[in-house]
Amino acid sequence: MKKPNKKLSFRTMWKIHGLIFVSPFLIGFIAFFLLPLVNTIYYSLNNVGVGDQGGMTFEWTGIQNYIDLFQKEVTTTNTTMARLFTEENSTMLLSLPLIVVFSLFMALLANQKFKGRAIVRLLFFLPIILGIDVVMDMLTITTGGTTLDTGSNLLSGSYVTIFLVRTLNVPMRVLYPIMTYVENIFDLISQAGVQTLVYLTALQSISPSLYEVSKMEGATAYETFWKVTIPSIMNITFFVVIYTIVDLFLKSSIAEEAYAFAFTQGKIGVGSALSVVYMGNVILVLAIAALLLRKAVKKNEK
Amino acid sequence: MKNKMKYSDMDASLAIYLFKNKFKQGAVKFFSLVLILGLCFTIVYPILSLVPVIFSTVEDLGNPNVIWIPEEFSVVSFKAAIRLVMPQGFMTMVKSVLYAVGIMILQVFFSAMVGYSLARVKFWGRGLVFGMVILVFLLPRQSLLLAQYISFVHFDVLGIMNLFTKAGEVNLINNPVVLVLLAVFGFGVNQSLFIFLFSQFFKNIPKELEEASLIDGCGFYRTYFRIMLPNAVPIISTVGILSFVWNYGDTYYTNYFNPEGSYMSTLLSSTFISANKDYILNALRTWYDVPVATDLAFDAVKQAAVLIFLIPLLIVYLIGQRKLVENMENSGLVG
Repeated sequence: MKKPNKKLSFRTMWKIHGLIFVSPFLIGFIAFFLLPLVNTIYYSLNNVGVGDQGGMTFEWTGIQNYIDLFQKEVTTTNTTMARLFTEENSTMLLSLPLIVVFSLFMALLANQKFKGRAIVRLLFFLPIILGIDVVMDMLTITTGGTTLDTGSNLLSGSYVTIFLVRTLNVPMRVLYPIMTYVENIFDLISQAGVQTLVYLTALQSISPSLYEVSKMEGATAYETFWKVTIPSIMNITFFVVIYTIVDLFLKSSIAEEAYAFAFTQGKIGVGSALSVVYMGNVILVLAIAALLLRKAVKKNEK
Repeated sequence: MKNKMKYSDMDASLAIYLFKNKFKQGAVKFFSLVLILGLCFTIVYPILSLVPVIFSTVEDLGNPNVIWIPEEFSVVSFKAAIRLVMPQGFMTMVKSVLYAVGIMILQVFFSAMVGYSLARVKFWGRGLVFGMVILVFLLPRQSLLLAQYISFVHFDVLGIMNLFTKAGEVNLINNPVVLVLLAVFGFGVNQSLFIFLFSQFFKNIPKELEEASLIDGCGFYRTYFRIMLPNAVPIISTVGILSFVWNYGDTYYTNYFNPEGSYMSTLLSSTFISANKDYILNALRTWYDVPVATDLAFDAVKQAAVLIFLIPLLIVYLIGQRKLVENMENSGLVG
């Protein structure tokens, strides 16, 4: 019985066991990722119909689906595809730096030593729960009246705003964009839960001796932040940025559009084409972000 | 005399310096405290502001005199919310929680295995598999929804289904098996992220542990289940909490692959769409005899439903929150 085992060295056996452990993921990768990926691209190049016996029929059309997608088709809300993509990308690019900086800011605050830190941390990570899509939808979208709000209309009518406009003559043009961001602060917080957690752990893992040295050398808090804290968390920023981009793309409405094309209008080909374009878009944004960040990370390592 | 002068001079400048320093520190502390309090307030405010809405009578909702404390205490919105979102009563919530727990256990079990193997075993093509994990994490799941959906409608593994059914395929949509399959094979909610976290954790476990167990005569599986898994409790609990929260709140997989499964998350998002407003208001009027139910009442019921939905999450969060930060530190993601 033991003979075949003896032929294989201990190391090979170990590797085989390792492969067995990975095999569920490999099967899943082929079944739920690779095949769907190939299929999506194949569907997008075909006119897909439903056959007589309930199967699917394919008719090769080349890139006709892609042309249709951008020239003929409109979304469920009657905007063109080009517009949909521009909107998705621009909101993403705007919120990305805000979320990253804000989560770092929250982490820095939570990392300080003060009384009641446990309670503050308890509240600070609440967005991990409140940020779930369902909850956010239910909390923010209201159909009636103004009795329910997320604190968003507190500012526009507040004394601070009135003071700034009336007394200091700050023009509304300057104030307005700032106000909209401040008013949507809950949106921002709700998307920064996991990132704050990651940043906080990164901050805690910085060796205290580094801070001691910089204090001894007479560095100000400002210098310490830029020379010690930022370089130490540069690697983790890479992760946070990528995670944020992925997370933001996950929330986009493209899935519903593709689903609507395929199963409401029966245009599986066009829906697949949309999916492919979307994939390309995500890869492009991620690649640009990764390239830019890699440079920053390397610079800080030197 | 001269010496004394000098000392007192120094004392004075030292005192000024110390005072300045103290003042600076105090000011910084004060400002950060204000910021922290403000942020805490913004986080809690949406939930706090729900309370008066939910507990006031339906007639009171538009009343401008009522801001925080309702004139009359009532739980009509709560009752309506429970009736709408929990068709089987308390069992609906139990079912959703059990579903989330079940998927969580599967996700943790299988992600840990893959993560361990990726981190500790140098099998052939390890870099490639690691690349696959990252790729799956990066590509948003929606982009493959169509093909996945179609493959589940015509589900067939290498013609095996020919043995069981006439058509040679089964329609798995609306069958919870889909969700189990996805979790087992590494494609549940954010599962590639979990695999990544596990592999980062196992990378940092000292090699001596493995070697010792080998010398003591443990095989691969005993080493993993007896030595490695018990040592991975921090990361298991972190992933477990995240997995539970995300699965319980998931509307993507449940909505597309099992729309009739009556999970609380999908019920919540499908019941309270604005198209349903009149239906809900009518229900409110007939069930609880409140003729003046307005749009505001719709919101009140909706918010009550959210609060009910949040209860299991809040319990899990309150228990697990403290560990979350400590555990992340040990997760190997940092440093």
